Amino acid sequence: MRILHKKIPAQISNGVNKPKHRSKSQFRVALSHLKKSRLSRFSIFALFTLYTLALFADFFVPYAYDDEERLLSYAAPARVHIIDDSGKFRGPFIYDTIIEFDEYRRKIYKEDKSRIHRIKFFARRQRYKFLGLFDADRCLFGVDKPARIYLWGADIRGRDIFSRIIYGSRISSTIGLIGVSISFFIGLMIGGISGFYGGKVDNFLMRLTEMIMMIPGFYLMLVLRERFSTNLNSAQIYLMIVFIFAFIGWAGLARVIRGMSMSLREREYVLAARALGISNIKIIVRHILPHCTSYAIVAAALSIPSYILGEATLSLLGLGIQDPIPSWGNMLSEALGIVQIGFYPWILLPGVFIFIMVMSFNLLGDGLRDALDPMFRS
Amino acid sequence: MQQRYLLRNNNYTLPFYLIVKLTKPILFLIFLFLSVNSLSAAELAASCTSKERYGGHIIWAASSDPRSFNLIIAKEASTTSIIGIMFEGLTETDGVTLEIKPALAQSWSYDQNGLIWEFKLRRDVFWSDGERFNADDVVFTFNSLIYNDQIPSSARDIFTIEGKKIEVEKIDDFTVRFTLPKKFVPFLRSMSQEILPQHVLKDSVDAGKFSFTWGTDTDPQKIIGTGPFLLSEYLPGEKVVLLRNPRYYKKDREGNRLPYLEKIIFLIVGNQDAALLRFLDNELDSYGLRGKDYPLLKPKEKERDFTVYNVGPTFSSNFIVFNQNRGISPTTNMPYYQENKLRWFTDLNFRRAVAHAIDKKMIIQILMNGFGTSQNSPVSPSAENFYTKDVVIYDYDLDKARNILAEAGYRDRDGDGILEDVQGEKIEFNLFTAAEDDIRIQISAMIRNDLKELGMKVNFLPLEFNSLVQRLVSTYDWDAVVIGLTGGIEPHFGKNVWNSKGRLHMWYPAQDNPATAWEERIDEIFDLAAQEFNQRRRKKLYDEWQRLVSENLPLIYTVLGDSMFAVRNKFGNFKPTSFGGPFHNIEEIYIIPKD
Repeated sequence: MRILHKKIPAQISNGVNKPKHRSKSQFRVALSHLKKSRLSRFSIFALFTLYTLALFADFFVPYAYDDEERLLSYAAPARVHIIDDSGKFRGPFIYDTIIEFDEYRRKIYKEDKSRIHRIKFFARRQRYKFLGLFDADRCLFGVDKPARIYLWGADIRGRDIFSRIIYGSRISSTIGLIGVSISFFIGLMIGGISGFYGGKVDNFLMRLTEMIMMIPGFYLMLVLRERFSTNLNSAQIYLMIVFIFAFIGWAGLARVIRGMSMSLREREYVLAARALGISNIKIIVRHILPHCTSYAIVAAALSIPSYILGEATLSLLGLGIQDPIPSWGNMLSEALGIVQIGFYPWILLPGVFIFIMVMSFNLLGDGLRDALDPMFRS
Repeated sequence: MQQRYLLRNNNYTLPFYLIVKLTKPILFLIFLFLSVNSLSAAELAASCTSKERYGGHIIWAASSDPRSFNLIIAKEASTTSIIGIMFEGLTETDGVTLEIKPALAQSWSYDQNGLIWEFKLRRDVFWSDGERFNADDVVFTFNSLIYNDQIPSSARDIFTIEGKKIEVEKIDDFTVRFTLPKKFVPFLRSMSQEILPQHVLKDSVDAGKFSFTWGTDTDPQKIIGTGPFLLSEYLPGEKVVLLRNPRYYKKDREGNRLPYLEKIIFLIVGNQDAALLRFLDNELDSYGLRGKDYPLLKPKEKERDFTVYNVGPTFSSNFIVFNQNRGISPTTNMPYYQENKLRWFTDLNFRRAVAHAIDKKMIIQILMNGFGTSQNSPVSPSAENFYTKDVVIYDYDLDKARNILAEAGYRDRDGDGILEDVQGEKIEFNLFTAAEDDIRIQISAMIRNDLKELGMKVNFLPLEFNSLVQRLVSTYDWDAVVIGLTGGIEPHFGKNVWNSKGRLHMWYPAQDNPATAWEERIDEIFDLAAQEFNQRRRKKLYDEWQRLVSENLPLIYTVLGDSMFAVRNKFGNFKPTSFGGPFHNIEEIYIIPKD
């Protein structure tokens, strides 16, 4: 129906009777609906922030992800001061951290108040390629060497958790999107073809889909991971994980799309298109699948979290992204022991970010469903 | 019985009697760490009468289910540490003095060449089913089990001297004669090999079914041993219970039959964090500490009534090894290993540079919470009778490492931050370690980072332990590995690693002829030292071996953790040592009665 809607006004508008109000496009209606919901606004804002951080990670962080300072193993989050001991306003600054051990070899964090280290904006850091294109050596904030600023503390080898979380967001923010695009492409195509052709093709494709669905996803993931050679670099592992997720992710969608496509193929406009002799593939792509998009968009938004969690789980088990490249999952794997969690709770921070990102996608998915479903609009 | 060096899977050493057989402890260290608590325990011990010592149980953690109750077949430390308690050998090593002392044998004598040994057996030993232990059991254990080609026994290697078997004969019911093909000094220590009952097992050996006998599905009452405790119950995934052997032959000073304890319970806890929690909940009596657990446990000592003991460096090493396999594969007729990498790894300067890039101090500081020693020699400092300090020591100095590399021709010629060798090949290789062991993963990551500083591109990948060992000993498909070996006080039992024909001679296994002069000399040293009765001259030979290893760096050693455990303050006769662990004298341990 939507297709007709869009095309007919376009033809009419060439004519004399211009409508008084321009009718809102489907997309605009949905968007305005989405804007009304507070939760959706929050999720869009959170996701926008996370994606910006991921894109410009190099600029936002003071240290490279593998920059170690072993003497500051498990340094506590830095306390940012504004006023010094004498009560004088100094702007944001930090003191040097001194780590001492008590009689039980517990870490005691002290501040060396003899020197202050002003937090500088647009400070220098290790050289990097901004967006992979330009040489740059500035970052949003930092302190002069040899002091180090650990906004959210350090990990076991004295790497900055803040920097690593921001770099790690690159993995989590892209793995869901890329994985979902691949698996939805497969899911839409297979579902569309299967529903449209029916018969033997349908039978074969749906049995295949069921076979994939029958296998418990997590174990399938582990088996696939095991099958791949271990001599891979991080980029290859990343691609492989995306591939694995795409491979196990399309089946559920294909089933639903097949159902929709089956009912759509009996519609008049599809019959008309067939009568005009348009090729089957073209009918599927141009006339059937567009009708499934609103469902597909919602399903995609709601399935992205499972990709993020899947990557985190694989990395947590040491099978995903490998150190030193940070991902939220492999950062959390360092927080597996009760000793670490007890003494250095800040290493759990990546978990908070996984939570925020997963929740945002879920809320966004919910919001999208409400916005795209005409039943809810009134 | 784990006398050969074994590849060590992880740092999870079980807190008990697993290695009753070897070493010299550092006594002063023990006393240094004995707290006031345990001294008062010792005083209490003196006051309680022997009758009051009987009864009670002790609960230990086991990292995994036993795979078998068949000691000849069993290979994993997690299995042998449980079933080893049920059996004994002719000799044993005293857990404190580390002298060899009689066990099932009463006394022994040997001829002047050291080739013919006669063991007089104890006459008061009975198997737990009431049969008398005699010479037939000893002859059976050696001739029918260990030397039986159909049984995959890991002990066969130890009792094969230059390819020849030891002849074992029965002289009379309580005398056994061993005829060695060649003088073999560690022989007496190796006689701690556990003896198994002939009258129970003979039928299954004759039927060729020994490998399937005494599996974990066997009725616990049918496992017949001579040890202080006997199997009584096994619930898979839950616990193994050993009960006191009422026929055990050892007696205390007042003539009371040992052991004192009624029961040993092994709870199968899976991982070490679970063991830690259960120890804190009073469900375990002993816990093997990692350095990082210390700040958590030490402050709770008083409140929870236990003591943390540090008995000095362990015997389990951590090192990085590079593949130097120059061999040709017989199946494909191709070299096992890429030529360019072989060129770097066989270059001593390359290995020396890597040795200078290992930040041992920080590894101890960060990963072991300060409880460790840097290791420079293949022998642990806890094995005092063979350890030497006279070796080359490589301090952490990246500039020195850079200079060594530059002089040897490894330079960054195209300015991309990665070194190239003389032929322009980029230095890039894989570094593997066992994925199960978080300490080794961190050690590898630190090494990787320092090598990156030097300009080497190192791809670090943790692998599953078994597939890692597979690569090391059979497919030879690896570049560099961070791994460890169990060790002991007797260097000869590391022959499977150090002899150039050895299968665990990791950097170039199973050579036909020693590839280098120093490997040839090490082969010689091990042969000479095995025949040298004079301890001083023996030590001199092994000193030379340690020096050669430190000069040539086939294995680049990193650090040794300290052996630490937390034990409840309720055990009498408690004498922990680094080698024996907390409970090497389990038969003498008793629970101090409360008032």
